[in-house]
Amino acid sequence: MSTQHANKAQLGDNNPSWLQRLIPRSMAKRWDRWLSKRLPPKKHITLSHRSIFILPSGFGLFWMGLIVLLYLFGTNYQNNLVIGLSLLLASVFHTCIIYSYKNLAGLSFNAVNPPIAYAGDNTVFPIMLTGHSRDKYHDTSHQQICLQFSQQRHVRVKQLQQQTLATVPFTHPTRGYINPGRIKVSSNFPLGLCRAWSYVDLDIHHVIFAKPEACDILLTSQQSDNDSQYEHGKLRPGVDEYKGLRSYVEGESLKHVAWKQWAQDKGMLTKEFAEPEGLPVWLTLANTSGKDLEQQLSRLAWQVDKLSQTQQIFGLILGQTVINQHTGEAHRIACQTAIATYQAYTNINPNFSPSSTNQNAEVK
Amino acid sequence: MKDNFDAIISRNTLFWLLITNVAVLSPLYQQATLWSIGICAICFVWRVGIYLGKVAAPPKLLVTSLAVGAATTLALVSSEIGLLNALVNLLILGYALKYIEMREQRDVKAIVLVGYFLIALTLLDQQSMLNTLHLLAVVIINTGILVSVYQDKSNKIANLGFSVKLVLHSLPLAILLFVVFPRLGPLWMVPNIKSATTGLSDEMSFGDINKLTRSAELAFRVGFENPDGSTLGPANQDLYWRTLVMENYDGKTWRQDQSIKTIQRQAYFQKPQREQAVITANNRKIEYMVISEPSHQKWLYGLDEAFSDNNQIVELPDYRLYSLRPIDQRMSYRVVSYPNNILELTLKDNTKQLNLALPPNSNLKTQALAQRFAQDYPDPQTRINAMMNYFAEQAYYYTLSPPSVGEQQIDDFLFENRAGFCAHYASALVFMARASGIPARMVTGYQGGEYNPQAGYYSVYQYMAHAWTEVWLEGQGWQRFDPTAMIAPQRILDGFDATFDSQSSYLQDSPFSPLRMKQYPWLNELRQQLSSLDYYWSVWVLGFDEERKQQVLSKLLGDVTSSKIALMMILSFIIIALVIGYYAGLFSINRNDDPLNKRYNLICQRLAKKGITRPQGQAAHDFANHVQTTLAQQHPAIAREFMALSTAYMALKYQPLTALQTRQHMQQFMRLYRTLLLRLLRS
Repeated sequence: MSTQHANKAQLGDNNPSWLQRLIPRSMAKRWDRWLSKRLPPKKHITLSHRSIFILPSGFGLFWMGLIVLLYLFGTNYQNNLVIGLSLLLASVFHTCIIYSYKNLAGLSFNAVNPPIAYAGDNTVFPIMLTGHSRDKYHDTSHQQICLQFSQQRHVRVKQLQQQTLATVPFTHPTRGYINPGRIKVSSNFPLGLCRAWSYVDLDIHHVIFAKPEACDILLTSQQSDNDSQYEHGKLRPGVDEYKGLRSYVEGESLKHVAWKQWAQDKGMLTKEFAEPEGLPVWLTLANTSGKDLEQQLSRLAWQVDKLSQTQQIFGLILGQTVINQHTGEAHRIACQTAIATYQAYTNINPNFSPSSTNQNAEVK
Repeated sequence: MKDNFDAIISRNTLFWLLITNVAVLSPLYQQATLWSIGICAICFVWRVGIYLGKVAAPPKLLVTSLAVGAATTLALVSSEIGLLNALVNLLILGYALKYIEMREQRDVKAIVLVGYFLIALTLLDQQSMLNTLHLLAVVIINTGILVSVYQDKSNKIANLGFSVKLVLHSLPLAILLFVVFPRLGPLWMVPNIKSATTGLSDEMSFGDINKLTRSAELAFRVGFENPDGSTLGPANQDLYWRTLVMENYDGKTWRQDQSIKTIQRQAYFQKPQREQAVITANNRKIEYMVISEPSHQKWLYGLDEAFSDNNQIVELPDYRLYSLRPIDQRMSYRVVSYPNNILELTLKDNTKQLNLALPPNSNLKTQALAQRFAQDYPDPQTRINAMMNYFAEQAYYYTLSPPSVGEQQIDDFLFENRAGFCAHYASALVFMARASGIPARMVTGYQGGEYNPQAGYYSVYQYMAHAWTEVWLEGQGWQRFDPTAMIAPQRILDGFDATFDSQSSYLQDSPFSPLRMKQYPWLNELRQQLSSLDYYWSVWVLGFDEERKQQVLSKLLGDVTSSKIALMMILSFIIIALVIGYYAGLFSINRNDDPLNKRYNLICQRLAKKGITRPQGQAAHDFANHVQTTLAQQHPAIAREFMALSTAYMALKYQPLTALQTRQHMQQFMRLYRTLLLRLLRS
């Protein structure tokens, strides 16, 4: 649990509201525990009466005030119609509760693979929302749905089509494994009198890459070489190694056309082959300078990206972890993941308690 | 990713705001002062300009200065137009000014709430059924603003449709709450709407009643509640709706005495006392409910001797009913009358003096005539009868357009003109009685009533205004004498309409009055039907009180206990919620309407029980392949059939097919479905 608070403190610009601060921590903890028992993390979640909460909004309280005011007004003037109006408004409130429940009920959530993200970046977790209402109720269901990770900014889906991809924003300041936790799904539809909300935990796990920090590229090779560092491990067109696909240019050899992809209707693509130029090289943590581990890792991350951009072949040595020399996107991801998760147990999901919390000190 | 939901007002909302502004403010035109209307109009035009993109939002300074100016002006004229009117105008101006400078959704919400309050203010003096329906429509439009805020992707018609739906869904519960919610008395004093009074006034000179006979307006309605269930009241000649008693005469005008005026003024703080009715077996009692139209006066109508247990009504010592608050809106009250009660058996000396007083040196000829009566008939009872007969025996005429009278009003009337209407005859009789030594006073009110057989009530119109006299006789108390009955007995026996041609009296000034329909039987029936509807509205909605509530509840529940009411409330609440839920589409969620999908999913469910689950979103084709490979060894039949079923399913779902092909595929699908289901259930 302490992790959660540590992380909250890090997200300095997203202070909890005064209301949240009023609630004692023990209560908040109990609420959290109760929620995770009631709404356990699942890959696919459909909202139902078990998971939807409804309470009056601030405007709803004003509305209630107006109801009382009109009732007193009608009573003092002995006017049944004014009393009737106040009761009608009260009844509208009741109707709104049903509609706001209905607005969320039946909505299903699926997490879609999130894009890669660096620490401190504004990234998103795409969530597929699927509605389950008939066309007849298209205008009155699944409107104005606000999705938000705890302590993060929100995204609003104004009107749900059959399927809508919502990109829920998320920012995390540090690298490592993360579980962003519950998404708060809320809506004030239809009149803003009450707020229906729910928590959806899609059991998302993701790796946040270390924030790249520009530096000199320090490559270590087994043999010394006369070529400049940038030439090491660079690929040139050749035949040895499969490098990737690119679109087919008329006149190219049909031998290199990727027929399998063509059969899948992905169009004519040519398989590209390359062969390494010069000798393979290594990136090592030990050789990377920096005032602390985080800076070192950041610099490593930058180098990985830079080298991948120039399509050089390189390997990575991170303490015990060794990633063999290779190139390409998959290799880059593997390296970045290794960097991101190096001695990291960051997790902002309160359900996930790391066995040792002293690791947190490093993750700053 | 942060959206500006709270900062931006959608165009749909802006449109509905334009409509609502007119809808909410227009019914208030009577209360609004001319310059409030002007400012509202400016704000509206400006807003239209903003909507069309022609002008920018007004500078804050302008709005602020307008607001300060308007508030100051209102404060200055508030004593003139009345406190409530000033408040109404303040709200109207606040509404208009907030309307012009609204920028965020918070402002829109404020506008909506104030809009509801303005609608409530309109309801204070517009309570007819039509007005209520109109204002219900305004409520719907006002709600539509909020809908458009939260439904901003839909079109305007969808917004309105949803608003209609919301309000109509809410009506049943509102009606239920309306019936069971407690009705309390006023909790504190509130300012009243200041407006011109109608009907009788507390002063009467000869011309006054005559003016009223020109009015076809409804004064009040009465529903009699006889123990046998009939709604017929006493005969027309007994329907003397006593309203005012006038004891002071200055030779020109009859007025209420100061002492009774003082009692009236202090009634709120010091309830006047009157002896309660003697309840004996043979003391006849009449129970009825009066629904008074707004007269902006405080006096009420009742038959002698009227009592009311309404806590807003006091019983004055001159046997009248008096409301504590001006009747600014339709007011209904229950009355119990004891027609055989003796009014004031012993007359106090000062009252006697008051009711014998004559202005000095006035109407000497009449005084002389009265002296003669006094000599000829020493017994007051026979004397007053003789005076009544005098009107019948001499050539007097009843007319609604009498010739004018001079300084000595009664002399001129009795000896020169010999023509007049109720006020003339009543004045003359009171004067003569007083001059001959019998205490007498003038009473004004209404006489008669038009019976509506459909709804069973009496309508009393302004033209039924009447004046008569009360004479105090030893041992009998105050006795009613109506000299008009001697001149025009028809007027009293059969009512005003039997005596006068309506065209020359009350319809003269009102060319569009529905009372004109009286000439055509079927139209008259229609008129009566419409007015019965209005009557029911007044009784069951406007006049719905604790007593009516008990009536309704006991009809619904038998004997009313709080646990029964609670049970009824809970049950109705659940039923209403379910019905709303049904109409909202709550129960159609997750129901797969496509029979094809339903059957396919059922098969998938059965397969899942066998351990082959279809991952969410996996294509039917892939899943079929998966099943094929998994089950090929153990259940080749199932695998084969499922493949065929999937093929048919995919063909029906995704391939463009001719009607014939569709039928064939469908037949195949159904056949496979049945065999496969059986096989899966058996294995």
